[in-house]
Amino acid sequence: MIDLLLAFERMAVWMVWAGVVLALSMLCAVVTGRAAYAWHEERRHRFERHYGPLVARALEGDRAARHAIVTCPPRDHVAMATLLITPLIDDRDPRRVAATRAIVRKMTRGRLGNRLLPSRWWWRRALALRAIGLLQMANRTHEVIAALDDEHPEVRGAALDALADMQDPAALPVIVTRLHDASLQRGRRVAALAAFGARCEPLILDLAREDEEHRINYARALAVCGTERSRAILCEWTRDPRADVRAAAFEALAHVGLDDRAAALAINALESADAPVRAMAAGALRGWEGPGNAARHLARHLDDTWAVAVKAARSLQSMRQAGRDVLESWARRSDLAGILSRQMLWESARS
Amino acid sequence: MSLTGVLEIFTLLVTLYFALWNASQIAMGAAASMFLWRYQRRRTRRNRALAGRLASPPLVSVIVPACNEALTIVDSVRALLALDYEAREIVIVNDGSSDGTLGVLRRTFHMLPAPVAFAQPLSTARVRGVFRSIEEPALVVIDKENGGCKADAANAGINAASGVLVLVIDADTVLEPDALSRAVLPFLDDPTTVAVGGYVAIANGCRIEHGRVTDVALPRSWLARFQIVEYMRSFLLFRLACASHNGVTVISGAFGLFRRDAAIEVGGYDPTAIGEDMDLTLRLQTFFRSRRQPSRIAFVPLPMCWTQAPEDLASLRSQRCRWRRGLLQVLWRHRRAIGNPRYGIVGLGVLPYTAIVEGLGPLLEVSGYAITTVAVFLGVLNWSHYRVLLAVSILFGAAATMLAVLLSDVATRKYNRGRDLALLITIAIVENIGFRQLNSWWGCVGTVQALTGKGGWGPMRRRAFESRAA
Repeated sequence: MIDLLLAFERMAVWMVWAGVVLALSMLCAVVTGRAAYAWHEERRHRFERHYGPLVARALEGDRAARHAIVTCPPRDHVAMATLLITPLIDDRDPRRVAATRAIVRKMTRGRLGNRLLPSRWWWRRALALRAIGLLQMANRTHEVIAALDDEHPEVRGAALDALADMQDPAALPVIVTRLHDASLQRGRRVAALAAFGARCEPLILDLAREDEEHRINYARALAVCGTERSRAILCEWTRDPRADVRAAAFEALAHVGLDDRAAALAINALESADAPVRAMAAGALRGWEGPGNAARHLARHLDDTWAVAVKAARSLQSMRQAGRDVLESWARRSDLAGILSRQMLWESARS
Repeated sequence: MSLTGVLEIFTLLVTLYFALWNASQIAMGAAASMFLWRYQRRRTRRNRALAGRLASPPLVSVIVPACNEALTIVDSVRALLALDYEAREIVIVNDGSSDGTLGVLRRTFHMLPAPVAFAQPLSTARVRGVFRSIEEPALVVIDKENGGCKADAANAGINAASGVLVLVIDADTVLEPDALSRAVLPFLDDPTTVAVGGYVAIANGCRIEHGRVTDVALPRSWLARFQIVEYMRSFLLFRLACASHNGVTVISGAFGLFRRDAAIEVGGYDPTAIGEDMDLTLRLQTFFRSRRQPSRIAFVPLPMCWTQAPEDLASLRSQRCRWRRGLLQVLWRHRRAIGNPRYGIVGLGVLPYTAIVEGLGPLLEVSGYAITTVAVFLGVLNWSHYRVLLAVSILFGAAATMLAVLLSDVATRKYNRGRDLALLITIAIVENIGFRQLNSWWGCVGTVQALTGKGGWGPMRRRAFESRAA
């Protein structure tokens, strides 16, 4: 024991020195980091003060301002590109995108893609892809598509973002065929589909006819970008043997809207043994005032399981007088159906 | 064994503990730095814009349990209504307040009674009524009988929530405007994400206008200053290091975003738990890991919200004793997970570390100071050994805290004044002399309270947020 303590004492001097060095290094790192940041911020502010008005004039078509930007010192190119491209994240005005693209092309002379895209560092590749997407450089679509197979998830995500931003029809098949690709971030896949909107629909329908296995994904995609053109096939899918596909089909029907046939299918599906199917069918009937007396059928599900009951109540609320009559007749009850009915009537009265 | 022998063994134990603590701080610093570096690389404005570009971003229900929060509740609600994330509802749970919290809310936001229409999968004290605001359709107030703890109120909020995600915060928490749009990103990125925690910063000394932190400065109170660097160390070293290996075991009660179905599946907050936030996080970790279901608890290393730290010794003491009791209770409840390979990094790494360093740490530290002093006087230990222990402890402690300050600088860019930086560096050194020992002592008191079953919530002096810098 004593030996151990003695050994510790022998190490003591080294430990104290290690502590001193560590503490001083951290102190230097904090001070240096702060000084570097302050310098960077000051430089950025100065840069923005100088070039900000110039950029605004250049985007409005001022040739002199455009020339001044294009001929800015090479050391300022990254900061200039940031100043030009970042606002495009929120402002997708095609004229602004085109004007910015023209300036950046002249300024970088293709280096944006040629230097950064093949970089070994993933953040550089991601940066280049985001810039290409925001600038809608259609001539680089194939490179962006290739980046969907990049080894780094952030680069794959950036590529998907870029395709969504570019909205190049040539990229549509790729986005649709990658619907089931779990290596691509789910939120981004949905955002890309939403960006193309109804333009995705024909492709999805074509692929869905060939590929029954992934029908649920196609149904979910149609819930984002489907139109009434998809209604017939969605009606077919409501008879699929898989309950999750049937539920997704009714969810998509809620998005594309019902016709008499689809409404009849939804009313029939209210008797399904699967609660998710009943819930989605009840949701699909929202606002339906056509044949089938949907309100009467929905009323029977006000005391179903919670998910079904809520969807039924919401749909009844949206059915104007027919729904209100049903809700009023159920509102006197003390069970879940009564509570939900009173809630729906209360909300309707307030809106 | 002679007294001298016992003292020698104990001194060795304390020395080993200090070595473990210091080594772990350095290791955590390295892991946290790597995590932060990767996070900063991914943190782009385009990524943040993702939620805004989705046709239907996930609905988030912000749950605010409020018991006697009349002083701060209006500021908090206003800040919540001004969040930059559109798909959100705000559920205030009035937990039987006696200070007129409900009245303040009803008057300020013109709220009307509405039917109680929601499933209640988590059992709670009786819900007396629901109030909805006509002016702010996204605002709901649940009025319930006092359940005796925040957990019960949070569960009532989770029951009433319409969102697929629930954010549970404290009533005195001021959220950053972009907190939600940042916090939902891990859920969009990875469907296995079940919860997300965030960095909770201290608002003392900051200027708060209209429920927003508009100017960040250090407070005048040294107690609050010490807690600022303590929070930095806790959130930006320990939790980041844990998050880098999916081993987060605590999502602070001040800011926790959960998948509602996952929270309900594990039974929501446990009203009998003192550290209900750590208990829920650990139950989520163990539930999914024991079923071999892929799950992730993410951590966002940016200030998500600001909260008040106690500035008087009595409040701080009661808070620390309560935290201590909560920690020991949770460790006891999850004792089977400690060292259990079934729970992966949580069972083999984080929980054993927490049990040794946080569970036994204060006891070893306090008894170490006392017994080492005795050993010096008895001649078992010489003065130089004693001084070295103290010096190493202070130097490594200061280095760890300065690393946390550095990470905070990189992640948050707050405390921008030169004076604040100088103060932070001073605090990093000074807190090792006095405050750290005091904390350890309170840890011992909390342990005694836990063993004897004593100690309640304790006094907690509430203040309205300052509208001017202190």
